[in-house]
Amino acid sequence: MDVRKISKIASLALLCVGFAYASGAKEIKLKTPSLKERSVDGAMHYKVKNGVYAGVYRVNTQVDKIKKFNHGRQATKEEIKFNDIDVRYDWQGLPDGKGSVAQGEELYNKNCVMCHGDFGAGGKGYPTLAGGEKSSLKNQLLDPDSGDEPPVKTIGTYWPYASTLWWYVKTGMPFPHPMSLSNDEVYAIVAYLLSLNEIQIDGEDLDDDYVLTKEKLMKVHMPNEDGFYPNVNKYGPEIMKKFLSDPSNYGTQTVRCMKNCPTGKVVHIKHTLDEAINPPVTTKRDLPKETKKEGGANSKYAKLFEAKCSACHTNKAIAPVIGDKEAWAPRIKQGKKTLYTHAIKGFQGMPPKGGNADLSDADVKGIVDYIVSKSK
Amino acid sequence: MKEHNKKVSVSSRRGFFKKIAASAVAATAVAPVALSAKDDALLKEPEWGKKLGDPVNKHLYGMPSPYEHNVIRRTHELLSSGDFYASVAMCPVHELEGIITPNGLFFNRCHGGVAQIDPNEHRLLIHGMVEKPLVLTLEDIKKYPKESRIHFIECPANGSTEWRAPQFNTLQFLKGMMSCAEWTGVRLSHILKDAGIKPGAKWVLAEGADDSHMGRTIPLEKILDDAMVVFAQNGEALRPEQGYPLRLLVPGWEGNLNVKWLKRLEIGDKPWHAKEETSKYTMLMPNGKAVQYFWPMEVNSVITRPCPDYPWTHLKKGDIVEIEGLAWSGHGKIKGVDITFDGGKNWVEAELKGLVLPKAWTRFSYIFKWEGKPLLLASRAYDEVGNVQPTIDQEVGKMGVENIYHRNAIVTWEVKANGEVNNVQIRDYKKEREMIKKDAKEEVKKWM
Ligand code: HEC
Ligand code: HEC
Repeated sequence: MDVRKISKIASLALLCVGFAYASGAKEIKLKTPSLKERSVDGAMHYKVKNGVYAGVYRVNTQVDKIKKFNHGRQATKEEIKFNDIDVRYDWQGLPDGKGSVAQGEELYNKNCVMCHGDFGAGGKGYPTLAGGEKSSLKNQLLDPDSGDEPPVKTIGTYWPYASTLWWYVKTGMPFPHPMSLSNDEVYAIVAYLLSLNEIQIDGEDLDDDYVLTKEKLMKVHMPNEDGFYPNVNKYGPEIMKKFLSDPSNYGTQTVRCMKNCPTGKVVHIKHTLDEAINPPVTTKRDLPKETKKEGGANSKYAKLFEAKCSACHTNKAIAPVIGDKEAWAPRIKQGKKTLYTHAIKGFQGMPPKGGNADLSDADVKGIVDYIVSKSK
Repeated sequence: MKEHNKKVSVSSRRGFFKKIAASAVAATAVAPVALSAKDDALLKEPEWGKKLGDPVNKHLYGMPSPYEHNVIRRTHELLSSGDFYASVAMCPVHELEGIITPNGLFFNRCHGGVAQIDPNEHRLLIHGMVEKPLVLTLEDIKKYPKESRIHFIECPANGSTEWRAPQFNTLQFLKGMMSCAEWTGVRLSHILKDAGIKPGAKWVLAEGADDSHMGRTIPLEKILDDAMVVFAQNGEALRPEQGYPLRLLVPGWEGNLNVKWLKRLEIGDKPWHAKEETSKYTMLMPNGKAVQYFWPMEVNSVITRPCPDYPWTHLKKGDIVEIEGLAWSGHGKIKGVDITFDGGKNWVEAELKGLVLPKAWTRFSYIFKWEGKPLLLASRAYDEVGNVQPTIDQEVGKMGVENIYHRNAIVTWEVKANGEVNNVQIRDYKKEREMIKKDAKEEVKKWM
């Protein structure tokens, strides 16, 4: 392609402000809008002009004249209180409560350990909750064969605020049934997780009998509190506009190199991930293979299993997987009665009713029958 | 994707990068049917011409042809936080035409499973720094003037398995954490007229009604600009995977910010710093500090035909074919796309085709004569704000490889003489190592 032609097209589009010749390379520098023409994210700011938005969408212009629509109704104080479940980094929204590290450990071992591992060490595919060094955050595992170490991002090394931990444990965990822990229980678990991460409060270690309260939690400063930028707390969204409007902050370019551009070596796939794609990729057009009718896949107990038990019983790192005959054979040998009891009352890593206190005994038995029928 | 990277970094990284000889990696795809000299398809009356088809009342909600059963989302156990409830199903980008993703193929990323919500029981609560806190039903929301706009949604972890080295030989898994649809809903600026925003308000917390109670902080300026609450995609109600009955749409921004199953908007004067803007969705830079908020998805592009999933193995020498692809940018409209055949040394301009809309997928096209000569084929998009897609060295030299999100470097296909297509990377590890700055001070100071 003729470079002169490129330059002509580009300048016609009012993009080209000239050629730069760096080490023999031919480059086109693009025109960039001023901050005033941009939105808070550095993007083009679109307006409605003559009833057309962004130059492409026609819009109704009557709406501009309407001051209020008055749809919906006023929310009540109770509604707001019930739903306002967040905890902001300045602690707005943190409720009262208390709990000790020892209570937290007990609760953790009952509600969390099956996924997050002993002492939050992970290892079951779920996030690791403790360990690592903050200094590792500078690590770069650039070339997978280099032998370099990657950073270790955990609550202790990476999270900037303890408020986020309280909020997330309360509203997001335990994963299969969030919003089930009382505020005191959340305080206890947060105390335990902070102690696993060797966080101190007022210079004090969080020993087993340490009781975390609202006042104490609000004193926590996480080791990586200053590990994030731009500082939106101080400067508001405006600083993000500056940051995002300059692509050199994030490796994106403003120049199109057209000829004799610097390149690199060709790196092929050495360590493929393709094998575990489910199902394997194919563009074949054929009829689906007759799938064996799954007995009662839509039955009540199949659905209950899906909703209440599958979080653990489809992951072999956690629990015997449904359909895994080998894993279930010795268990089934114990007899249905034992299985029922273990499922209802709990058994080692298996919480009572899988943590679903709302399930009736009869339903649990029904689900166990379903599991067994699928796993023989 | 983030969790996968975490897993790689913390536990089983070595096992993860399994040793597999490069020669064992081949295109996974099957080429489309080629016409043979003895083809007799037009020399006999086909079966379906000799009998009645299905009655019109067979599928009251239409289904794709059974022959299309391989055109589906796909999953991968490593692209998850432990199970398929906090995970992603990838969009078959290689099979899509035009710029609209059919609803059943739209990528699906969720953090606590796909919530199944009774729309009669669903409410939107708006409170915080407002004159009148509001409760709205879906029918209340549909009373406001509606708008329909075409926007892509992309998870910022799209392509994140490729920071260190190429790992997937399929477009579906390289770029499948995105899709593009026509969304219908109501601008939040209309609804917030009824709530009345108090002075000093700057930020909004958006929260989902699902298991994860996904909370994300969004600047009020965006909410009042082009953000919408949407209840429909491509003409029908949102699919549960996209947040039925209501989701937030923040055009051009990280997928995760388009909170699904939207239940609550709280207006405030400070950012919240939720789990997904501290522990996750933050970009750890080589200097050990992380960019906390990064809203728009940067300018990006990829060639969709050919690609590893859809190679050129059925072409004959001399065939005139279209090279086609997708370009998109959260910063505005796509301005143009360049194409290289030699791995990025020299570039020519491709042409855009179809609708060129802001923050939407845009198709590009280049007519090419296939001579059976090996190529290193790649595309590079640039957008309305003058941003140009970087090379891998340019991006990694600045960002390092540990930030997981927002990877928009050029994607290169190695097209072999037999038409097979492989995902390769054009990069220079040594140069990257030299470019990467580990000193935080100068970089970070001006933003603190
Ligand atoms: C069934 C498995 C399971 C159980 C049980 C569970 N979690 Fe989780 N946990 C997860 C998953 C999955 C995620 C990631 C969710 C996501 O991707 O958004 C997670 C994430 C977390 C995180 C955030 C980690 C990070 O670095 O971002 C914390 C903290 C956490 N869990 C604490 C707990 C606590 C405390 C309990 C017990 C009260 C618990 N979890 C029980 C599966 C589980
Ligand atoms: C939080 C994870 C979790 C959930 C949820 C869960 N299970 Fe389990 N389950 C386990 C684990 C772990 C074991 C293995 C216990 C052992 O042998 O140490 C287990 C074992 C069992 C067993 C075999 C017990 C035995 O005697 O070998 C049965 C039966 C069972 N579960 C039924 C259920 C049913 C029914 C549900 C849903 C109502 C359910 N589980 C939900 C974790 C779980």
